[in-house]
Amino acid sequence: MDSRIPALFHLLQYSDATFPVGTFSFSNGLETASYEKLVHDAPTLEEYARSAARQAAFSDGVAALTAYRACKAGDYAAIKDIDSKLILFKMNDEARLMLKRMGKKLAELAARIFDAEILKQWLADIEADATPGSYPVAQGIVFALSELGEEDLYVSHQYGVINMILGAALRCVRVSHYDTQEILFRLASETPELYEEAKDMTFEDMNCFVPEMDILASLHEKGNMRMFMS
Amino acid sequence: MKDFQLHYSDAPEVDFSKAREMKPYLEEPKAMYVGAPGKRGYLNLGFELDPQGKSILRELDRRAPLIVQQELYFDEKLPQMPCVYILSSGGPNVDGDRYTQNITVGRDAMAWVSTGAATKLAGMKYNYSGMIQNIVLKENAYLEFLPEPIIPHANTRFICDTRMCVDPTATVLYSEIYMAGRKHYNGGELFKFDILSVCSHGERPDGEQLFREKFIIRPEGGHIRDCGVMGSYDIFANVIVMTPTDKAEEIYRQTEAFIDPKRKIAAGVTHLPNGAGLLFKVLGMEPGPVKAVVRDFASKVRMAIKGVPLPEEFPWR
Repeated sequence: MDSRIPALFHLLQYSDATFPVGTFSFSNGLETASYEKLVHDAPTLEEYARSAARQAAFSDGVAALTAYRACKAGDYAAIKDIDSKLILFKMNDEARLMLKRMGKKLAELAARIFDAEILKQWLADIEADATPGSYPVAQGIVFALSELGEEDLYVSHQYGVINMILGAALRCVRVSHYDTQEILFRLASETPELYEEAKDMTFEDMNCFVPEMDILASLHEKGNMRMFMS
Repeated sequence: MKDFQLHYSDAPEVDFSKAREMKPYLEEPKAMYVGAPGKRGYLNLGFELDPQGKSILRELDRRAPLIVQQELYFDEKLPQMPCVYILSSGGPNVDGDRYTQNITVGRDAMAWVSTGAATKLAGMKYNYSGMIQNIVLKENAYLEFLPEPIIPHANTRFICDTRMCVDPTATVLYSEIYMAGRKHYNGGELFKFDILSVCSHGERPDGEQLFREKFIIRPEGGHIRDCGVMGSYDIFANVIVMTPTDKAEEIYRQTEAFIDPKRKIAAGVTHLPNGAGLLFKVLGMEPGPVKAVVRDFASKVRMAIKGVPLPEEFPWR
């Protein structure tokens, strides 16, 4: 019987906060934003989560979609190409570390779940340092192999970015579970617009503008706060 | 007519019509057409050593409205460095303006390039203003590119692509300061522009790509003041330093990242990918303090490379 149920099941699995790719280790600058009292309640947290989502929407999100299409087309060279290009775009060490660490974990996990030649090659290339192995690109490959669609991938990518911030917020900002769930629910309504813009973008179009987050990342990188790795 | 227009200026054509973000702004201006004389500026600056080993401006080619006169040697801390100001006889960038700026610094040579005043981007109705920059540094070359701030007026559209091709032994400091608009004009004109699209990318002479930063600011979306984007700040400075790895580490160690809520100014430094160098960002409220922080950072860069700091800023700047 042809059913979408297994695919939807997998969509939930890959997007789950407990999916073991190390999401909980990173706060995307929130730890510093909280320390500097820029994020101190639910409204400021919502703004920060939105900024992170929009920043990823036109960079990581575009890379994930590009990798997905390349994987569907069986174009391994194009997958490696967008992977190395995405790193060109990552302007701080912690962001690159996060992308590569989560990407490798997802590749290792996927290589066990799927019996796919492309994943064996991908993991071998990561281990040989022949490709950075970024997380969005790994997401693109996994979703292509799972018979999930581009929208599914994009939703999972955006959900992951927002949920990472909100999960970290429960540990370093004075907000409740109710607050974070309300924020997550509200931000869902902004994702369609981002997808509409991102779906036709290429590497040339990738862009992001979050100077305050960039400065927070720098403070974290140079500072002593280490509850999170970013 | 088109052929006539093209032949009228021998400056290179600058065309961003393929850029997605500029698609809404491709109508021919009703006043002077795109590429008209005086609207297609061109600058080619070539610095190199003369036979005595002095850095000079060897090559200077320009088309209005861009103007560079002869090099001057007014830097008291580095008197052997040629300094030039880029001027624009047209005043602000207007609808349909196109500019090309090429700066090459030859082997072992050095140069300082700035603008004579802030670059104003006038309001636009039909088209956009675009600029392409090529910055090339040969072995052991040194360039400080420290222009005055850019002030985008209401409804302006500006796109800029800057390519930096830098030898692994050379150092370039490339800075840009963007104001939110004319802060004190007409009750305040902050974030009223249509779009700023700015892309800077670095590469090695063999073509190896090192980094690519692109930001598109469209205030109309309403998120520019969000926490994480501009927050409550009005000015944003972006400084790229491509330099050898050991120099980058030295500068990184000496550069502080800070948020000063009292003075409302913040700065951060980070490593560019692929060992290309550093990226320094500043947020603030007024151009003076932001420029001071940028110059302080530039001074650290100069100290690491040339062993001397920047001089005091001229009191009229």
